[in-house]
Amino acid sequence: MKFFICIFTIITSLFSSQYTFLLEKYDKEIELEAKILFDIAKSSIKKDIKLFIPKITNIEKKVYSKYFILAKECKTSNFIFINKTIHNDKSCNKLNKLFFTNNYKKLLSDSKYYGAFFWCKGRPNIVFIKSRLEKKSIELPNNYNQYIENF
Amino acid sequence: MKNKFYLMIFAAVIIVILTVMFSMILKLEKETKNKMFEISTSDVFSIVQNSANTIQQYLKNSTNYIDDIKNDVLLQKKIDKNLQILITKNIKYAYLLYKDKKGILRFLADGSVTEEKAFLNQKFDADSPIWFDIYEKKVPLTIEHTLLYNLSISHIVPIIYNKKVELILAVDFSLKKVKDTDEVMNLIKNGILITIVCILMFILIFLVQIIRYKNIKKTAFYDKLTNVLNRNYLQKAKDFFNLNDYILAVLDIDYFKKINDTYGHHIGDEILKRFADIILHTTREKDDIVIRYGGEEFLVLAKTKRNDNLSALNLIERIFFNIQKNKFHISNEDFINITVSIGVNLTPHYSKNFSEAFKLADIALYNAKNSGRNNIAIYDEKNKENSNISINELNFAIEDDRVICHFQKIVDAQTQETSYYEALLRVIDKRGNLIKPDKILPVIMGTFMLRDISRKVLNICYEELLSNQEIYINVNLSPEDLINEPIIDILKNYATKENIANRLGIEIIQSEEIENYENAKNNLFLLKKLGYKIFLDNFGNGYSNFLYPIEIQADYLKIDGEIVRKIIDDKDSFLVLKSIVNFAKDANIKVIARCVEKQEIYEKVKTLDIEYFQGYFFSKPDLIK
Repeated sequence: MKFFICIFTIITSLFSSQYTFLLEKYDKEIELEAKILFDIAKSSIKKDIKLFIPKITNIEKKVYSKYFILAKECKTSNFIFINKTIHNDKSCNKLNKLFFTNNYKKLLSDSKYYGAFFWCKGRPNIVFIKSRLEKKSIELPNNYNQYIENF
Repeated sequence: MKNKFYLMIFAAVIIVILTVMFSMILKLEKETKNKMFEISTSDVFSIVQNSANTIQQYLKNSTNYIDDIKNDVLLQKKIDKNLQILITKNIKYAYLLYKDKKGILRFLADGSVTEEKAFLNQKFDADSPIWFDIYEKKVPLTIEHTLLYNLSISHIVPIIYNKKVELILAVDFSLKKVKDTDEVMNLIKNGILITIVCILMFILIFLVQIIRYKNIKKTAFYDKLTNVLNRNYLQKAKDFFNLNDYILAVLDIDYFKKINDTYGHHIGDEILKRFADIILHTTREKDDIVIRYGGEEFLVLAKTKRNDNLSALNLIERIFFNIQKNKFHISNEDFINITVSIGVNLTPHYSKNFSEAFKLADIALYNAKNSGRNNIAIYDEKNKENSNISINELNFAIEDDRVICHFQKIVDAQTQETSYYEALLRVIDKRGNLIKPDKILPVIMGTFMLRDISRKVLNICYEELLSNQEIYINVNLSPEDLINEPIIDILKNYATKENIANRLGIEIIQSEEIENYENAKNNLFLLKKLGYKIFLDNFGNGYSNFLYPIEIQADYLKIDGEIVRKIIDDKDSFLVLKSIVNFAKDANIKVIARCVEKQEIYEKVKTLDIEYFQGYFFSKPDLIK
């Protein structure tokens, strides 16, 4: 009997990696995103950062709240990260805040964004546009130089 | 402590074996995985190289690859299409990169058709320095991704112009390829692990069983009371002892039965324990073997050193003296001293096997006991010629019917006519010499052979009585014969025949054994009832007492030959003889004077009222004519 219990324990422990359904859903991509974004925001704003993410999901709330003070609405924030497609929402545009996106195309087409963090070919990519940084008087540390594009 | 040490060694060995096994599995896993990946991707790599060659073909007229592609939309589309062909389930991305003046990698073409398609000149954040190594090495390279969550490897191929890497064709493999490989590897790994675990479990169970078997074996071979080896061990190991390496000593505690009877079996057991302790402490743990082969009988095999058996004999002497010196406590305050008789065979290697060597040590023990106990007797093979017959010789003698009886007359004192014959055991050896009982009895005492010899002698006497209805024959029986049921049954059977029991006298000697065993006495009374006459032999020697003949209802007293021989010169002996005769008269027991060997003895015994004489003066033992 002991022998079979031992065998059973060994076999079940060998396949323990299969039991991921027992764990809470966790997104590594969001965690990495939040970390990088925190670094960028910290380098861009000298004051306390109040992040606003439109249509924020629960998991995003959970992960981002570890790094940022999350603002409930755009007007109480000073750093806005647009990571979803939002139509006809121009309330935030009027305000003098820093806009960041996760879409390279948006960065190129909309001048309110001073930078983007996005995934390209499965790799994290960061791009800042030099003219927009200057316009907003943002001075990034030297280690960001390789990400600044001069269009 | 020793067991703990071995357990730690065992655990360390198991850990080392497991570590080696697991590292080997890991190594095997890595190598197999690489090999499997190499096999499954080698064709893909060739196709990527072909694609790079095709792009180079598109640019065969170009002197500036980068600018030409940037400025030619059609060429871009052509290259994009070429790259699209490469995208499969396993190849997630295929794209063309160039390095700008700042050293930043940028997209020139991309095989992706979805939103993932990169823009022309879009910056490519290189995740590994290998991306830049290709400009130095100028050969295809593979980059393994450990941090990217959906890519496994990238394969990059240089497109060279004028010995300079101008473009890089890159393909990214999805995780699926690796996952497929990993799944197979995991199956193999788990299979190997389960097999190893099962094998280890079986080895463990096997070892546990071996340990349990050894423990059981130890229990079976060790005497629980004394913690020395037991008779089972002797039975098992006796054929494997190298008799050249040992001397044999047989030890027997003197009067142990009396100790048991006087103080109880509990004290007897305590004494045995202490006795064994002394032997164990005196002997050498690794060299000597101590076996308890009977109640109070121990066997010591003392190891000798290259033909020097004196040191081994010294060891036996030390045991002897240590036992003598030791106080054996029978309570907290009281103690007794015990003694031991030891028989030693100094040359066991002269014997054919252990049993024979043991028998010789046992003969020496018998001699030690006969010499008054509390001593060591040594069996000396060198004096064999003058000593006893061997067991083997006796066996052959029985088989060859060379066991016979000579008969000595016992004559009536008045008429000098033969009244009885005493049957005397003789064995004819191979050379035709007659061997007398003094050379036979020490060998067979305490053995089954005594019973066989007694049966043979009884049969000879029975045959003589049947063939001659006029004669009376006396036969000597030992105390052991009197408690031996087969012998008693033979005598019972003879008594059923007419005119046999009344003509067959049973000669016994007074002994401790008969006195101690109620059974022997009862059998004597039974024989007497059946008509047999009881002759008490050697009466008057050291151990005789006058109550005994009356107690066993003896019909005849045969006076000890030593007394008779001495009566000519020794007045005391004559007085003893006279007293015995007078006692016998009063007890209504007839007297036989043995060893009447000369005229002078005859003249002297004649003066006493003795009924029968026996001795060389009248006849020598011989066959009945």
